Order: sequence, then structure tokens, then C-alpha cells
Amino acid sequence: MSGVAEWFRWLNSAHGINLSIFYDGFDQRRFVTGIETTLGLSLACVAASFALGVLGAWLQGSKSRLVRASVRCYVEFFRNTPPLIQLLFFYFGIGALLPTFPDGSAGGQPLVSNLGWAIVSLSLFAGAHNVEIFRSGIEAVPRAMREAAEALGHTRFQIFRLIVFPMAFRISLPAFNNNLVNLVKTTTLAYAIAVPELLYASAQIWSESFNVKEMMNVLLLVYLALIAVVVWGMGWLERRLRIPGYSV
Amino acid sequence: MRALVDTPSPSAALECRWLGAISAVLLALFPLSVALAQATVRPGSESILSGVLRWLPLVFSGFLFNLLVSVLSMALGTALGVILGFGLIARGTSARIASLGAMQFFRNAPWLVLLFYAMFLIPYQVTVFGWSIPFPDWIKAVIGLALPVMANVAEIVRGGVLSIPAGQWESARGLALNRRQILWLVIVPQAVRRMIPPWMNLYATLAMATPLISIVGVQDALTMTRSALVAEGRPELFLPMYLALLVMFFSFCYPVALATRTLERHLDAQT
Amino acid sequence: MRAAIRTLVFVLAALIAAKSAAAEDTLEAVKKKGVIVIGVKNDYKPWGFLDPSGQIIGLEIDMSDEIAKKIGVKLEKIPVTAANRTEFLQQGKIDAIIATMGDTPQRRQVIGMIEPNYYAGATNVLALKTSGLSQWGDLKGKKVCAVQGAYYNRRVSELYQPELVVFPAVPEATNALLGGACVGFLFDDTLFSSWLSSGDAKWANYTMPLTSEDPQPWAIGVRLEDLKGPFGQLLSAMVTEWHKTGWLLEREKKWGIKESPFLVEMHKKLM
Repeated sequence: MSGVAEWFRWLNSAHGINLSIFYDGFDQRRFVTGIETTLGLSLACVAASFALGVLGAWLQGSKSRLVRASVRCYVEFFRNTPPLIQLLFFYFGIGALLPTFPDGSAGGQPLVSNLGWAIVSLSLFAGAHNVEIFRSGIEAVPRAMREAAEALGHTRFQIFRLIVFPMAFRISLPAFNNNLVNLVKTTTLAYAIAVPELLYASAQIWSESFNVKEMMNVLLLVYLALIAVVVWGMGWLERRLRIPGYSV
Repeated sequence: MRALVDTPSPSAALECRWLGAISAVLLALFPLSVALAQATVRPGSESILSGVLRWLPLVFSGFLFNLLVSVLSMALGTALGVILGFGLIARGTSARIASLGAMQFFRNAPWLVLLFYAMFLIPYQVTVFGWSIPFPDWIKAVIGLALPVMANVAEIVRGGVLSIPAGQWESARGLALNRRQILWLVIVPQAVRRMIPPWMNLYATLAMATPLISIVGVQDALTMTRSALVAEGRPELFLPMYLALLVMFFSFCYPVALATRTLERHLDAQT
Repeated sequence: MRAAIRTLVFVLAALIAAKSAAAEDTLEAVKKKGVIVIGVKNDYKPWGFLDPSGQIIGLEIDMSDEIAKKIGVKLEKIPVTAANRTEFLQQGKIDAIIATMGDTPQRRQVIGMIEPNYYAGATNVLALKTSGLSQWGDLKGKKVCAVQGAYYNRRVSELYQPELVVFPAVPEATNALLGGACVGFLFDDTLFSSWLSSGDAKWANYTMPLTSEDPQPWAIGVRLEDLKGPFGQLLSAMVTEWHKTGWLLEREKKWGIKESPFLVEMHKKLM
């Protein structure tokens, strides 16, 4: 392992290409932590936004006008405002209002960490898009299927869970994949509230080791690789879920 | 090409009723937040509303700058994207592969990272044939934002052109038109109508991405809000000021989204 | 169509191949241009900050004015931050850095530091009076706000293991501190001295509870090739002159900065 580090150190002194993440322990730890945080943040947001999407799609069919209107308000607000400002609004605006829990020192620890707010904000943002995506998927399910299920005596919830939503999810899978890729790209916004994700780690490294060009290229390559993995994974899922004879 | 066209939306009459109701509710959030913040304020200090109103003109002028950046970026991105889009449907394999590579690269990279890339790697001025062309920071930001727009426009163009039925191509060839004539005279005029809704969606996404330029140091509405909050120094102002900024963007982006949906319904009904 | 594409490719290639200004001595270039471009801070009161009309003023701007006057050219000030000032200098966007820059051995590898140093700062933490911090070790595991690019971030991280929350610029870190997102703000103690002595109500409950550590002199920065050349020598002579005549001490008093023992010592040494 030290041979690798030595080679990169040589690369820096001989050719001026400074890839400090390979030979400097501190930078390396920071970069790896950045990748881990980005992955963790993405996974948490995907799960939460999927849940929100399902919940919102379900509530949109509710009998109560108030419930339907609330879902509409949520969706329109989070779809038509900038995600960066939503993030700052949650972290600085709402974060400043919440009480702190004591940890010995006066002032105390804030109730929700910056990573927590990033997950909340990004999940709400992606969740709003998911509600729209699932709604269109649900509308594309043939009415006949729904009526047949009613005729068989299913409740609204059973119809949704067993027939409509599985169908709708498969129909809306391309749009859902698109949203997923966007979500992974949007995690870079957490940089603005100092969440130690990949862009943050890289910015720290390049402002202290003065290797902007090298770190930029490494950063781009890592994100492209990450997204390629996501696209490949979702392609696999699409193939697994395909219903023979019902291609959309 | 279902994935390109936006999700089908409720009828026009329903939209109008929702528009009024939703806007009323969301715009009511702002006075509510001011009242809430006022409740937490120490007696004797200045009211929240006057604090916010003092900075509102400055933040609004920053917001107009955001809109300017979005328009310029969209124009540049569209121009470049159209070129790239034609590269995607080119007959020569090397042109197609190169365009595909460029498109995938710029579509799959995060917008913020591309922005940083542009800011750091575009020189502050370029000397060509003795003239030096300066690149001030905000121009670099416009270019940085135009890169993902370019890739998305290319995809929209490719999708639009491919969605024209093969029958059109065959009849045109039967009339002895060459490839360039077919594209310009027959295919593109029909495809343009299908490209407009996703293109408008892209503009909405871009408009909501313009606050990113504040992270790379360009003075815009978000920078103004931040400086205002530092100058005032009162945590009670954070919520109303950020909400005011959100409301500003919402008042612009929501009508654009509604117009897109109306246009799309109109175009769908005609085909 | 083919001809148009060929011309476009040619122009693009020319732009990419073009290099910026040739490597001639900076002093000559500045005299020829008639303008000297200096990178200064615009968020570090009273060294470099914005007055209500939007002009950048401060002690370092006074220094820049003197330099411009001495060379006989106009002064152009460009706001910089710790994170981008090195890039700007190396790209040629600015001719010199006078922006509260700490003179460290690591930075000396990429930036030419003019000797003698013109000021000295040290690291400290701004926190509430009730924060319960009394020594540096107390920071372990606590959230501490910081700003990107500061030379002491890494050292404090390694020595005292706080949970460092690093923001892109001073306003965000300040807002985070005021909103209670961190227990203290790690930065140069000169900035905190000026905030605390300004009488601003928002800092009434804040103090610097720890002893200032790691004193670091500040220097004017130039490109490495200029350090030994006429430009570097001119600046060096000017700084020596400022210390000798006590001009810096007088400026310090004018801007309300607490008298620094470093300046007094330099004045005595060079008198």
C-alpha cells in the first residue's frame, strides 16, 4: 500500500500532479468519509422520498377535499421553489427556532444536525416530485382493472396496495429513475450547510493542498461512476419488474 | 416518448380553481411566519416586518439578476444543445459517439460540480488575435449553468426528432429530398411542438438552480439575503427572510409551470 | 453547413489554444496597463469591508491605495476569499494579494510572501460568555464553525478534535453561530477583536474564552516569479518604510484596531 502512496508522491514532485488523497492520510480519510456520507445521504433520501411519494399518491385519492388540497399545496410548493433555498430555510430558519438539548455547555447541541436537515429537506423535495410521478402512473392504470377489483369486493386500500400501485410503479419507473438520478446529484447542495459529503471534502482538500484541477477531475469521475452504478441498478430493477405482455 | 412529456394534468377549469386556492395558502405562509417570528422577539426591539421590508428591495434586485442569469444560460444552453442534439442523430458513427459521450458526461454530473468546474477552469480572460475577452465571474457562472442545459436540450431534441413517425421520413425520401432537407423542412417543424413542454420544464429547473451561483461567489438574491441577515444579526429574522425568498421564486416558477401544463394540454389536444 | 461547422471548430480551437498574458515582469505590465489589480477582503472589518454605498474600504485598502500612488497607476480592488485568492493570483486575475493572508511555510511554496510581514494575527474561538469553554481541549467533540481555506482549520482539527463545520464564507458561519448551530466560531482573533469592540448589540453576550494560539504573521502575496523581481522589491521596500515611519501604527489607530504588540515591535526594530 505504501508503494502506491510513494508513487503518487513522486508524481507530485516530478510532474506537479498533486493527488494528495492517495498519499496523505488526513486527506484520504476526509475523501473516503465524503464518499460514505454521500452514499448514506442518498440512500436515506431515496427511502424517505419513496415513502413520501407513496403516501402522497395514496392521499391524493382521498375523499376529503382538505386532504387533497394539502397534498397539492405541498407538491406545488416543493416543486416550484429552489431546493438550495429550501435547504437553507430548514437549516437556518427552522433550525434556529428549535430548542436545543443540553450537553453540559450552555447553548447546547442543536436538536437536528445539519445532516438531519439535509435529509429532511432533500426528501421533501424529491418526495414532491415522486408524488407527481406516481400520480401519473396511477392515472395510467386502466379503469377496468380498478372496477374489476371493486367488483371482487376489495377495499380502497387493498386495491391500492395489491393492484393499482404495483402497476403504477412499473409504469412510472423510467420517470422514477430519472428522479432518483437527480436526487443523487442534488445531494451536492448539502455542501452549503457544511455536511461532510464528497464535494465538501474535495473543496476542503483543494483549498488546503492547492490541487484544484486534480481534485475537480477526481470529483467528476467519482460522481459519474456513482451515477453509472445507480443507472445500472435501476435498469436491473426495471428488467426484474417487467411484466411480460404489458410493456409501456 | 412518454418519458419526455410531462405528467397528464387535470382539466383547465380545475387548474384555475386550484391556482387561486394554492397561491392564497402559500402566500399566506409569509405573514404567518412574520407573526410567528414576532412572537419570539424581545419587547422593545424592532419589529420583524420592518426588518424584512428594509432589505426586500435589495433582495428583489438580486432576484431579478437570478432571472437574467437563467435567461442567458437557457439561451446559451439551447443554442449549444441544438448543435449537440443534431450530433446525436448524425449519420456518422464517430460524431454520434462523441456527442453521446459529451451528453452523458454533462447530464450525469451534478450541476454544482459543473459550476465549480467552470468557475475554476475558465480563465479570467482569453486573448484571441490580440483582443482580450474578459470573463467576469457571472459570465463564468452562466456558462457553468449552460453546460447541463446543453446536455438536456440535446436529449430533448433527439427525443423530439425520433418521435416523428417513420412514415414522414419515408414519404419525404420518396419526394427525393436529401437528409438535410428532410430534417429542416419536414421533421424539425413537426418535432418542435413536441419539444416545447419538456424545454419549458427544463427552464423551470434552471430557474430554480440559479441560486447555486451564490455558492461560487456571484452576488445574487441569496447572497443579498445572507449579507442582510449578518448585518441584522437577529436569528428571529432567518425564517421570514428565507421564506420571503422562497415566495419570490414561487411567484415566478409556479405560473411558468402552469403555463407549461396549459400549453402541453393544448398541444396534446391538437395532435 | 459543413463550412459553418469548420469555421466554428477553428474558432473554438483558437480560443482553447490561446494563452493569457505573456510572462513579463508584473511591474512593467502594471505600468503599461495603467491599473494595478489587488485582491482584498470585503467581509473582514476593518481590514477590508463594504461601506453602505457598496465601496470596499479598510486598512488594507489604504495600503493598496499607497502602492498604486507610488507606482503612479489606478487601483482596482477585487474581493477575494481565502479559498480563491491563490487561484486568482496564479491565473493573473490579480497582481497582488493584500487580504489578511497568513504567511505559512506551505503557502510559501505557491505564493511569494513579501517580507517584512505587515501584521500578525492569532487563532481563537468566538463563543457565548456562557459556553463553558476555558481551554482548547474543551472543544473536543463539540461543533465548531469555521471558514473554508483557513490555514488553522487543519491544525486545530488534528490537535483538539472538535467537530469542525466548515462553511464557504464568513457570513454563513456567522449566521450558524448566531442561530446556535455550533458552540463557537474558529477564526482569526483580529476579526473577533474588531467585532467585540464595535459595540454592536448582537455581540454583547459573546467573548473569546480561549487564549489566542498559533500567532501567524500576515504578508502581502505576489506570484513566485515576482518575489525577487522589481515588483517584489518595491513592495518590500514600501512595507519596511511603513514600519519605519509608524504609518501602520497610525492607520491602526484610525481604524479603531487594538494596538498590536507586533506592530510596536516592528516599528522599534526598523526605526
